[in-house]
Amino acid sequence: MNLSLLARHPTLFSVLCGSLAVSSSLSLGLGQLKNLSDISWLDVLGEGSLGLLSIVWVFFILISRPPGRVTSALVIGLCCFLFSASLDFFDEFMAYQEVAKGLSMFESIPAAIGMLIMSYALYQWHQEQLVLNQQLRNREHGLRQHDQIDFITKLYGADYMRGQIHNKLAAPPHSDFSVVMLDIDNFDQFNRQFGHAEGDRLLRQISELIVMNLRSSDLACRYAGDRFVLLLPNTGKTLALELAEQVRQAIFHLAYKPHQHPQAIYHNLTFAIDSVRPGDTTDNIINRVNQSLDASKQLLYPSEAAL
Amino acid sequence: MKTSATTFLCLEDKYIPAHQLAASLVDYSVSRGVNKHKLLRGTRIFSEDLKSDKKISLGQLLQLLSNVRTQTPGYDCAFQIGRRLFPSNYGAVSNALLHSRDFAQALKILNILRMQICPFFDASSYQTKQRQYLLINPALGCHTQVQFLSEIYCSALISATKLLFGHRIPMYFSFPFQQPKYIQEYQENIGYRLSFSQPMFSISFEKKWLTTPCLQRSDGLRSYAIKQARLQNLPKQGFLQAVRHAITKHRQASLNNIATQFSISPATFKRKLKLHNTHFKQLQDELGKQQATYLLQIQQFSNEQSAHLMQFNDIPNFRRSVKRWTGLTPSQLRLVE
Repeated sequence: MNLSLLARHPTLFSVLCGSLAVSSSLSLGLGQLKNLSDISWLDVLGEGSLGLLSIVWVFFILISRPPGRVTSALVIGLCCFLFSASLDFFDEFMAYQEVAKGLSMFESIPAAIGMLIMSYALYQWHQEQLVLNQQLRNREHGLRQHDQIDFITKLYGADYMRGQIHNKLAAPPHSDFSVVMLDIDNFDQFNRQFGHAEGDRLLRQISELIVMNLRSSDLACRYAGDRFVLLLPNTGKTLALELAEQVRQAIFHLAYKPHQHPQAIYHNLTFAIDSVRPGDTTDNIINRVNQSLDASKQLLYPSEAAL
Repeated sequence: MKTSATTFLCLEDKYIPAHQLAASLVDYSVSRGVNKHKLLRGTRIFSEDLKSDKKISLGQLLQLLSNVRTQTPGYDCAFQIGRRLFPSNYGAVSNALLHSRDFAQALKILNILRMQICPFFDASSYQTKQRQYLLINPALGCHTQVQFLSEIYCSALISATKLLFGHRIPMYFSFPFQQPKYIQEYQENIGYRLSFSQPMFSISFEKKWLTTPCLQRSDGLRSYAIKQARLQNLPKQGFLQAVRHAITKHRQASLNNIATQFSISPATFKRKLKLHNTHFKQLQDELGKQQATYLLQIQQFSNEQSAHLMQFNDIPNFRRSVKRWTGLTPSQLRLVE
């Protein structure tokens, strides 16, 4: 669990503590302890867990989201709910005098307000998610599996691409698509010269560039090592060749500056393209593209080629 | 020949400098966002050790490897570690390999200095007319991690040959485990000549590659580096390897006989085997399976020849044993390729 975001929410954290403090001081200050025999333990359990779980929810929101309007609304809404839940909980232990009878009338109102705020927050969250989906364009196709995202490039891995190709093959036969495999040239040599940390940074930048050069319907994944795979829906071989060449041009012009190295290093990549054929399976297509990529690599860089 | 008890290494012997493999493992996992303290949990290695000359045992290293395997994200963990294994900070061992004459000599040096750079596996070499085979065995009780360790050392081998010779050498890999679903990592880091679910773990290539010259050949630097590396004065084999060796020599020897050869009591011998996650019968059977597969399938020897070489007195008994080890009769085994 990564708790680094928690420290960035001092205000929201005090709102949480405040709602707990106000509710407890209200009920403790105005009421008197009940007899042990009068306490209904089933209610204590039920209402106690409501309060406890809302604290857990607030905690997860605080550690997962950076500060912002949506985060604040979510937390404040939950805190209102928590306020009511904790009043309810203390009720089980306290008996109130006539003057404070109003308290139990009043206690459900914050919960209702909290729910309203949370509904507003969820709507905002929905809007935010739409924007984020836009940001993820070319990195994701309709399905979200965060555990398949590659640590270095934040692209999805080979499993995700296989799943997507499989789905495409299962779709009606007229959906034509192409698959492109890209491999950075002399990446091993770069790693040896500048170290693996630089290699990782280069991979990250290249993945950004690849994504920037794709159309909104395309998908890019990291296949393995310095090999990337693109899925281009409704695209024939000629158009795919043009798109892949554009990506190659973009990478070719990337002036990568390694740490403490005065000169920029330029990179090239080799790619291979294949389009779907009748009766294809996922593995067929991937193997075919891989083989033609390895064949061209062997021709251009015999020392690097996978044998 | 009597094998004295001090000529092999056990899991608990502390002889590996912590700043070598252990440090690279920790560095890699930390660069993938793993918590250092979690990584070292249960290994009895401290983070200061990684910067010092402190020695750790293979058992500790195996525990660290298992933490790395379970905590590091991504399928490429073992392969990336393998790529960084050589030359890394192995000092004299790496130099000796880098400056060797050709592939054959590099393999020979690797065999001599194996305990320092590749202590988990030992290889026996066999040749047919055209091919060179390296039969790989786990040298210590690391059966549960064979796949992870093979991924590390096979990708290390490939990336080292690239460095030594300037190009890849086409090698065939047979793995004793099933094909994993992340086959793309194998293809990218080890190559396409792969077969899985094989009776034994082996690497093979055409003999002509043995004479591939090293790019940085230097006879003087090499012999100096070997001398330096030998200053460590380590036993040349792991415990299981020593036992295997003894069994191969006397196939019909009992546990007691071999314990006597090692000058330890049968009870201690049994306990040591257990510490290495195996037992006597299992070792005997594994060896039988390997030898039978090698003799019948690779060398295509007749039943009589093979039985003789494996010290069996009667053929029916040999046939029965082969069937028990491999699930196939000798004639079926000969047809498999």
